[in-house]
Amino acid sequence: MKQLSILVDLDRCIGCKTCIVACRNHHDLVDHEKAMPGFMSHYLRVETELTGAYPDLKEDYWVVMCQHCKKPPCVNACESGAIQKDVQTGIVFIDKNKCTGAKKCIEKCPYDVIQFDATGNFAHKCNLCYDRVVHGQEPVCVEVCLAEALSFGEREILLMHAEAKGKKLLKKRSTQSILYAKSPS
Amino acid sequence: MSESKWIPTVCYQCKAECAILARVEDGVVKEVKGNPRARGKMCVKGMAGITTLYSQERLKYPMKRVGERGENKFQRISWDEAMDIMEKKLRDLRARGEGHKFTYSMFPHSTTDPKWRFVNAVGGFISTGLPHCDSAKIMAHLHTFGCFPNHHIAPMYYTVPKGGIMILSGRHPFGCLDDACVPRDILNAKERGAKLVVIDPIFRTEAAKADWWIPIKPGGDAALFLGMCNYMLKNNLYNKAFCDKWVREGDMDGLKAYIKDKTPEAMSRICEVPAKDIIKLAEMCAKAPSVSVDAFKSIMYGNGMDWGHAWSILLVITGNLDNPGGQPLPEIAPMAQVKPVPPAPNLKELGYHRTGPNRDKFDHYNFILEPTWYAAQAVKDGALKVFFASECNPALSEMGSGEWRKAMTMKDQKGDYLLELFVVTEILPSETIKWADLVLPDQTNFERWELLYMPWWYNYGHTAAVCQPVVEPIGESRHANRVMIELGKRMFPEYFAFKDDIEYYDIELSGVNMSMQKMLDNGALWSPGTVGFRKYEDAGKFNTPSGRIELEWQMYKDIGQHWPSPELPLEFRRDEDKFPFILVNFRTIFLNNTGAWSQNNAQLRDPISGVDANPILINPIDAAELGIADGATVTVESSTGKARVPVKFTEKIKPGCAGIIHGFGQTMGKVASRGEWIGDNELIADAGSHLDEQDLRGGEAHVSTRVRISK
Repeated sequence: MKQLSILVDLDRCIGCKTCIVACRNHHDLVDHEKAMPGFMSHYLRVETELTGAYPDLKEDYWVVMCQHCKKPPCVNACESGAIQKDVQTGIVFIDKNKCTGAKKCIEKCPYDVIQFDATGNFAHKCNLCYDRVVHGQEPVCVEVCLAEALSFGEREILLMHAEAKGKKLLKKRSTQSILYAKSPS
Repeated sequence: MSESKWIPTVCYQCKAECAILARVEDGVVKEVKGNPRARGKMCVKGMAGITTLYSQERLKYPMKRVGERGENKFQRISWDEAMDIMEKKLRDLRARGEGHKFTYSMFPHSTTDPKWRFVNAVGGFISTGLPHCDSAKIMAHLHTFGCFPNHHIAPMYYTVPKGGIMILSGRHPFGCLDDACVPRDILNAKERGAKLVVIDPIFRTEAAKADWWIPIKPGGDAALFLGMCNYMLKNNLYNKAFCDKWVREGDMDGLKAYIKDKTPEAMSRICEVPAKDIIKLAEMCAKAPSVSVDAFKSIMYGNGMDWGHAWSILLVITGNLDNPGGQPLPEIAPMAQVKPVPPAPNLKELGYHRTGPNRDKFDHYNFILEPTWYAAQAVKDGALKVFFASECNPALSEMGSGEWRKAMTMKDQKGDYLLELFVVTEILPSETIKWADLVLPDQTNFERWELLYMPWWYNYGHTAAVCQPVVEPIGESRHANRVMIELGKRMFPEYFAFKDDIEYYDIELSGVNMSMQKMLDNGALWSPGTVGFRKYEDAGKFNTPSGRIELEWQMYKDIGQHWPSPELPLEFRRDEDKFPFILVNFRTIFLNNTGAWSQNNAQLRDPISGVDANPILINPIDAAELGIADGATVTVESSTGKARVPVKFTEKIKPGCAGIIHGFGQTMGKVASRGEWIGDNELIADAGSHLDEQDLRGGEAHVSTRVRISK
């Protein structure tokens, strides 16, 4: 299997959202002149989970982006054949030229990560910075991560590194290609 | 996308001024990121700087007020007219012998800032938020061991050894007020086996990553540390060899006598940290190879000097000065002066907040700069006549913002404003421009030249960086530095004989055998060398009058402040029945406080990539007693202010505290003005009319506020 992936280390993610804005800049997702809060596309989001009661609290932060599913529901949902999972990289792509704007992929995505460009009438989402990784660079979110919580590479290698560091894979969140891990508590 | 198009420059989305790279394509900034030759990181605010640069709300030309102050009515004027207005008024002020009644509110980016030179030439003062944020920390460290830190000089987390302890007390370094590398460095230290201890009434990201979160009563930090010091000294857990060698003779005996009754049990009653936890932390610190301490919000309370003093004592008795993982002692590289140097006026003799009717209350304590928050009082006293402001938003950032607004609009019997001229340079609409007579369009860091020279950068491998324009400026915007240089050339040609800002920086850099061009040719960064450790051993002394560490502050003996009091700030000790909650105002990584350039940045106020809500936070235990519903709009009232704001229940705050983010409440700009959020300074008392203990115990610190919450 060929699958590029990102490992999210919950021991390090601080939910700072730096990756979200850097990603928008790189993929040109924002009209800086006219942008308004609540109306900008985003390929990542931060999720958090707080457990316990004062003063015994724990809180985790992590980012959710396209999970580049093993069997992507968006691919099956798309009647125009605009979405494909690339064999060489495992990256799920949307071809905006083939996209008819039917939004079926958005309905079927279990992770709610597909964006829609109303002006251009096409769906779009994280492509793991294909334009960068094929030239030997990491995806932007990985490069800029303030806390260095993200790492990039072949999925199996990332798993091996996480294990070597004593991190435990969060299996429920890691069912697809993006991996989530933290130290056992 | 070519690597060669990444241009080294400096961020200015907040005052940390991280070294960055900007990718420019066809004259447009497309991407930014941390400069890997510096410390390699840039936070979310910096990433969103492109939105500030290109916002259609950018101020593009000079404007003159045409209505009354506060009405927000302006007309476009030329730069020449704006310069004439400023020159005429300042010449008039100086002709009256009142040059000292001019103040410029700004944060000098650097000791090299040409605006500072202009202010000195006029004979006025700069006023900054620095005294508020840092004065207690700076003065405590200066008095005790002669080092000049500020809130941008975090402990060097990359030097913390395995087993070292990092204490954050009311400090949120993941919010990046210091270099954006700090979160990474703290997490790396943790991975090396260092321990993170977070002392805070609010459980925030730092607490989530901490090995130990210690909720504390706000203002209780001095008591906590005195309890720890008591335990260490009583049980011989302190670094005796270090103290014997470096502490001034007699000070250890004096400390031991003073601290005798500051037992963990007694201190626990003040700070509400259990005595067993005070002992546990003391034992951890005594055993650890290093201890670092950093504080921010806690050092702004009305007992800031006591807290800074107790903190300094703990560092000393554990020997954690200028060691890996301890408190760095920064040095300054000798930049050349641009001669002739305009003499600075005497702050103590002429500074506005020391000359008014409350002068006696300020006579004990000296800081090197005017704080901003006596401006309202100074206007009322007739001690402030001309006010310039750059890169600040006093209409929201002043404690007691209502009094500030009042002062801006006060008139004399003839109907003229008491404050004769108020000039604001800004990038985006701010609350403050509503009250200005002149609004001058400033430039972002992407459009301007600047030499950033700060001693604390030295800690991280370089001490100077060049901010260079990477794109053409928007509209008629001009950098405030260049405006003040031009005004300086008109008014004081002898002090402004250099060609422009670049030549000015070149002269300064010649002191270290460097130039702007040499810096640009070498990645726009420069450092004299490495920071080093235990430099006092090489020098054989500390930078104090005695050359030794001075635990007892003898200069404050006559006012009974020679040893730190463990008491909470006065405001927290009174009116508890009327105002049961302590207001805890805090910062986030997403906003540079009240700064218009982040409050009006769509990405930073976007719920996905920033923060777009600022409810008052209370613990569900308190909420149940109040009988209010989560999300309801409630009245929050202090002894001086009142506001309506939505409430949010959270387990993440200590009962008895009410949390709110600092910096909201702006009504200017289409982004910032959305939502029903308030500025915390509506609730915090005006410093000028509520002096109380500050000068004695808090230095310039001043945010201690109690509130009540009702339906």
